[in-house]
Amino acid sequence: MGGLISRLPVALHRGGRLSRWWVFALLTGCRPTAAPAARLSVIDDAGDTVRLSAPARRVVSLIPAVTELLFAIGADSTVVGRTAYCDYPPAAHAVPNLGDGIKPSIETILARKPELVVLYNSGQNAAVAGRLAELGIPALRINTDVLSDVPRVARILGRVTGHLPDADSLAAVFDTALRNATAATSSGTRPKVLLLVWEQPPMTIGRGSFLNELVERAGGQNVFADITTSSGVVSVEAVAARNPDLIFTTSEGPSAFAGRPEWQVVPAVRSHSFLRVSGSEFNRPSPRAPAAIRELADKIRAVRR
Amino acid sequence: MSTGRGVLLVAAVAGCILLGLSTGAVALPLADVWNGLWHAGSSQAAIVRDLRAPRVALAFLVGGSLAISGAALQAMIRNPLAEPYLLGLSSGAGLGAVIAIASRAGGPWSVPAAAFVGALSAVALVYRLSLVSGRRLDPHVLLLSGVVVGAFAGALMSAIMVLSDAPGVRNAFLWLLGGFGTASWQALAVFSVYACIPAGLLFFHSRSLDLLALGDEPAHHLGAEVDRLRRMVYLCTALLTAASVATCGIVGFVGLVVPHAVRTRFRPLHRTLLPLVFVVGGCFLVLADVVSRTAVRPLELPVGVITALIGVPLFAVLLRRTIA
Amino acid sequence: MILAARAVSVRYRQSQPLALQSVTCEVAPAELVAVVGPNGSGKTTLLRALLGLVPVEQGTVLIDCRAVTEWSRRDLARTVGVVGQQEEVVFPLSVFETVMLGRYAHLRPLDAPGPRDHAAVTAALERCDIAALANRPVDTLSGGEWKRVRIARALAQEPRALILDEPTASLDVRHEMELFELVRGLTDNGLASLVITHHLNLAARFADRIVLLNGGSVVVTGSPGEVLNREMLSRVFEWPLAITTWRDGSPQVVPLRPGEDHL
Repeated sequence: MGGLISRLPVALHRGGRLSRWWVFALLTGCRPTAAPAARLSVIDDAGDTVRLSAPARRVVSLIPAVTELLFAIGADSTVVGRTAYCDYPPAAHAVPNLGDGIKPSIETILARKPELVVLYNSGQNAAVAGRLAELGIPALRINTDVLSDVPRVARILGRVTGHLPDADSLAAVFDTALRNATAATSSGTRPKVLLLVWEQPPMTIGRGSFLNELVERAGGQNVFADITTSSGVVSVEAVAARNPDLIFTTSEGPSAFAGRPEWQVVPAVRSHSFLRVSGSEFNRPSPRAPAAIRELADKIRAVRR
Repeated sequence: MSTGRGVLLVAAVAGCILLGLSTGAVALPLADVWNGLWHAGSSQAAIVRDLRAPRVALAFLVGGSLAISGAALQAMIRNPLAEPYLLGLSSGAGLGAVIAIASRAGGPWSVPAAAFVGALSAVALVYRLSLVSGRRLDPHVLLLSGVVVGAFAGALMSAIMVLSDAPGVRNAFLWLLGGFGTASWQALAVFSVYACIPAGLLFFHSRSLDLLALGDEPAHHLGAEVDRLRRMVYLCTALLTAASVATCGIVGFVGLVVPHAVRTRFRPLHRTLLPLVFVVGGCFLVLADVVSRTAVRPLELPVGVITALIGVPLFAVLLRRTIA
Repeated sequence: MILAARAVSVRYRQSQPLALQSVTCEVAPAELVAVVGPNGSGKTTLLRALLGLVPVEQGTVLIDCRAVTEWSRRDLARTVGVVGQQEEVVFPLSVFETVMLGRYAHLRPLDAPGPRDHAAVTAALERCDIAALANRPVDTLSGGEWKRVRIARALAQEPRALILDEPTASLDVRHEMELFELVRGLTDNGLASLVITHHLNLAARFADRIVLLNGGSVVVTGSPGEVLNREMLSRVFEWPLAITTWRDGSPQVVPLRPGEDHL
C-alpha cells in the first residue's frame, strides 16, 4: 500500500485533467501500461522484492515452520503443497506431500498451480526461486532459524495471504507467552545443559540455534554457548571439562552413546542425568515454543529436585 | 641405525606423546597432567587418563599401522605413490557406515563394525577383479580395480544418503572424515589385539618385502614365493587399514607420505624401514590429532582433514627434493 | 648334469601349437652352454621350462638330478642363480645391500646376516670387480655396472648353476667382453653356466657348447665349430652369412649385404 500513497501527491501536483485521470486510474488500480499493478510487495529474507497482484490463495510451503504458521494464522485453506517433514498440525497431512523440500522439483511444484511458493533461504534455493520467478510464480525465501522469526514470519505470511490481522494477533500472543514462559533467571543456580545432537563424532548446539534459546529460556545454561554457529563438532574431553548437569537429546538424536566407554568420563552420563524430549516443536521455531519451554522448565526443575 | 639417531627417535616419540597428553580442548598445566596420570580421583585425572591417554595411544598405533600398510603396499605394487586407500577401502568403509546408520542398526559399535565389514568387502571385490591368469595380483589391474570399486561404493553411498530419511545419515560424512573423539581404553585394546597379527606378519617378512620390491621375476629367482607373499601383504594391509577406518574413520596421507619421506631420506631395507615408518607414522598422527583438537577450541576438526592439509604440502616438498 | 631338460615339449594353451618340441639341453659343472636362435625360437620358453615356471607337457626337467617340480623355491634359489634380461629399480638400495639380498634363500626370516653371508657377498663383489662400488646407491650406476651387480647378487646365492638371459643386451663392447670373461672365469671355477644370447660371435668365442633353436626345436647341439655351419645358419636365420675363423680357432659369423658373396 505504501507505493500507492507515495504516488498520490505527485499526481495531484501536476494538475489538470491529465492528473485527475491519473489519480482516477491509480485509485481504481488500473494503469495505462500492460503490467498489472502489484498490490502486495514484500522484501523476503534473501533481499528480493516479491510482488503479488492479490493475496495468494494457493501457496506451496517448502518449510515445515511456515506450514505450521500458515495453519496457525488461519490460512490453512491456501496451503496446496507441503514437504514430508510438515507434520504439524495433524490437518497438514491432508495437504499433498511434495517431497523432502531440500531439492525441490519444479515440476511437482508447478503441478499444484501455486500463486506463491515459500522456500528456505539457502544458497541452493536461490536457483530454484529464480527459475520459479521466470515461470511467473512469486517465490518467497524465508529464514526460520530463531524464535524471533516466528512473529516476524507470521506477519509476512499474513500479508501475502491476506490474513494480517490473525498474524498480528498470533504474534502478540506469542510474544506474551514467550515472556511468561521464560523462567526467571536466578543467579548461579542455572543447571548446565549439554545439547547433544549426534554422538559419532559428538555434535552440539551453539548459540546460533533456536534450541539454545529454548534451553536458556527454560532456565538452563548451554555449556557450549560460546560456539557461535548453530552446531559444531566437539570432543568428549571438552564435554567432560565443562561438566554439564544434564544432557539434552531429542528423540531423533543419539541414544546409544551412554553405553560407550569414553562417555563414562562425563559425570552426567554416569548418573544418567538425561533430558530427553520428543516432538516436532523441538525441531523448528514455532508457535508451540512457549509450551515447549514450559515442558523443558518442568523437566529441568524435576531433575534438580 | 646409529645410536645417536635412535636416541633422537625416542626423544621425538616422547615429545609427541607428552604434547598429546598435555593439549586438548581444555587447557591443563603440565603439573596437573602429571598428577592426573599417576593419581586417580581428580577431574583432571579423568580427562588425562580416560580420554587423552587412550586417545594419544590409539592415534599412535593407528598412525603406525597405516604407515606400515602403506610401506608394504608400496613394495608390493612397486609404486612409491601407493596408499592403502587405493584399494577401494575408504569407499567400502563409508558404504558400510552409511548402511549401518540408514538401517538404524542399534548399538554403539554398529557403525565401526559395519565400516570394517564394508572395507573388507571392497578389498575382497578388488582382489577378485584383479586376479589375472590364475593366482597373480597384477599391480596395474589392482590399482584400476581399486578406483572402480571405490567409485561404485561411493555412488551407492551417495544414493543411500540422498534417499534415506533416517536421522543422521548425512552425519555419516562427519564420522567418515576421521576423528579420535571416541577413543577409549576398550577401543585401544580391541585395536591392539587385533592389529598385532597383521603388523607382526609384515615385520616378520621384512626381507621378503625387500625382494618383492625388486620385481616379480627377480624376487622369484632369489627364492621368494611371490604369489603367496603378495596375497599375504594384501591381506595384512587390508586388515590393518580396515581396522583403522573402523576405529577413526578415513585418515589419508599417513600411508603415503610417511613411508615416502622415510624412504627418500634413509633408503633403508624393510627390516629398518618398517619399525621406523611405524614410529614416524604414529608421531605424525598424534601431532595431527593435537592440531585437530586445539586449532578451533572447543570445536574439533576432523583428523583426516588435518592429515591432508599437512600431507599435501609435505608431499610436494618431497617430490621436489627427489626430482632435484 | 646340473641343469637337464630332456625331450621337453611345452604348450602354452590347448589351442596353440607347441612352443617347445622335444628339446634337450643339458649343462654340466664347469661347462658354458650358449642357447642361440632367431627371435621367437623358444629360448625364453626353454629358460622358463628349466626353472619350472611353465608346465611341461612331455619330457623331464631335472635340476641336480631331481625333478624341478620337487624343488622348493628356497632350495632352488640356493642351487640356481638367474640373471634376467632387465631389471628396473624402483626403490634403490646400496650395492652391498642389493647383493646381500642374494642371501635370502640362506637366511631365516628374522635372522640378521652373519659372517658367512658377509663373506659370500664380499667374494661375489670382488669376483665381479665391483667391490669399490659397495656403498654406491644402485640408481647411480651405469648399465654395465648394474648388470655386474645383478650377477654378483646371483653369485651371492652360492649357486651351482648360473643362467643368464641376454646379458649383453645394450652393453658396449668393453662391457660385453668383460661380462663374458667374467662368466667364463666363473665357469672355469666350477659353475655350470647357461647363457641365452643373440651374440653368435661371442658365443662362439666363449662357449663350450652351443644349442641352436629354431621354431621350438633344437636344430643342432655341439661345439661352436660344429654348430656354426654356414648353410645351416643362413637357413635358420633367413639371412645370407659368411663364416670366417679367428686366430683362436673360433668361427666368426659375418652377415652379408645384398650382392656380396660369402667366399
